[in-house]
Amino acid sequence: MNYQNPRLRRALAADYAIGVMSKAARRRFEALMRDDAKLRAQVAEWQENLMVLTESVAEQPVPDRVWQGVVARIDPQRLHLPEKRPFWSRLRILAAACSLVLAVALGVFYNHDPVSASATLLSGTQTPALRVKAHADYLQVEPLSLAAVQADRSLELWAIPVDGKPVSLGLVPKEGKGRVELSEAHKALLGTSVVLAVSLEPAGGSPTGQPTGPVLYQGPLAVL
Amino acid sequence: MNGTTASRELPSGGNERTARPIHRFVIVWRTPISTADADQLRQLLAQCSLGNRRAFETLYRSVAPRLHGVALHCLGRADLAEEILQESFVRIWNNASRYEAHLSAPMTWMVNITRNLAIDQLRRFREVPLVDGQEDSLADDSPSAHELLDSAREASALNHCLETLEGPQRQSITLAYFHGLSYAELAEQLPAPLGSVKSWIRRGMERLRRCLES
Repeated sequence: MNYQNPRLRRALAADYAIGVMSKAARRRFEALMRDDAKLRAQVAEWQENLMVLTESVAEQPVPDRVWQGVVARIDPQRLHLPEKRPFWSRLRILAAACSLVLAVALGVFYNHDPVSASATLLSGTQTPALRVKAHADYLQVEPLSLAAVQADRSLELWAIPVDGKPVSLGLVPKEGKGRVELSEAHKALLGTSVVLAVSLEPAGGSPTGQPTGPVLYQGPLAVL
Repeated sequence: MNGTTASRELPSGGNERTARPIHRFVIVWRTPISTADADQLRQLLAQCSLGNRRAFETLYRSVAPRLHGVALHCLGRADLAEEILQESFVRIWNNASRYEAHLSAPMTWMVNITRNLAIDQLRRFREVPLVDGQEDSLADDSPSAHELLDSAREASALNHCLETLEGPQRQSITLAYFHGLSYAELAEQLPAPLGSVKSWIRRGMERLRRCLES
């Protein structure tokens, strides 16, 4: 047969789309289609036309078991590998989720102590040196890049109000990490707009109640 | 249509008349929804090809009743139709990446998956002679399938193209399309000379195409 004859091609494409070919003819035609994009397009066109026949076919409700069957057929392909794995990984995710929920819940119950304000204190060269987080009753201090301090010196932390003298908050803990407890007066002061500063003082802190050494770091306390 | 089918149409004719206003409503909103669906279905298929199970489930929920209808129409038996429907969705999931959006509408692709599976099943039955009981159940259900076709005939505006076909043209095309009968089998079943069957189908198809294009 001459499969290049346009009329024949159209007719065969239609036959194939309807499904009226014999088994052998179907096989031959499928072999032809594989290498012939135009023929495939023609078949697709006929198939589109033939959809008219299904337009009038009433939809049928589908029992749930069909979907379950489909899922069962699709899932085993993944389960072929170590079968328990999906189960364990699901369990692991579940466990992780549970512990996260627990951690958050515990956090809410036991940590009525959120950070209310924070400050990053910069050195003269604008390098972040110290981070200060204000909790309700104390300041949490963390070093970022503190200069080494001689043994007979201390770093003292000050709160400087907008229009007032610096108020000592206490010494910066050794190594720069730790807590600075706050008095009621300090808490009230930190509720206002202040700049935090660190000065270099004799061991034990300024003898005068005011900074005596150079201010090494400073930065505004931002309320969160 | 031949005599038997025509006589089947008669009793349902009365019911159809009373039901017609409802069908009209169906027509009004059905057509725009099905066209809007095509884009959505195309996207869902694309998602399926990426392994998105949720998209697959959405796809299933939206097209399973339609494919079930097609499977039942082909096979005429609820248990077989369910099997074919299940197999269809396994294929849709596995072959979603092979769907060629430029060639055919998503619904066409899916309907043909279902129809081909159903027809293969029917062909296997024809090769292996059925046990008596099975043959009965196949025969019993086919009128109901025809009734479905008749009662829903008004459902689509496109359908007037089917009406332009002559009885034998429509019958032979429908039998081949839904039941996978070959030319030889059609000739035997109708019964009619092979040459007549071929010309019914070819002329019918051309007429269908011209009507749909106009």
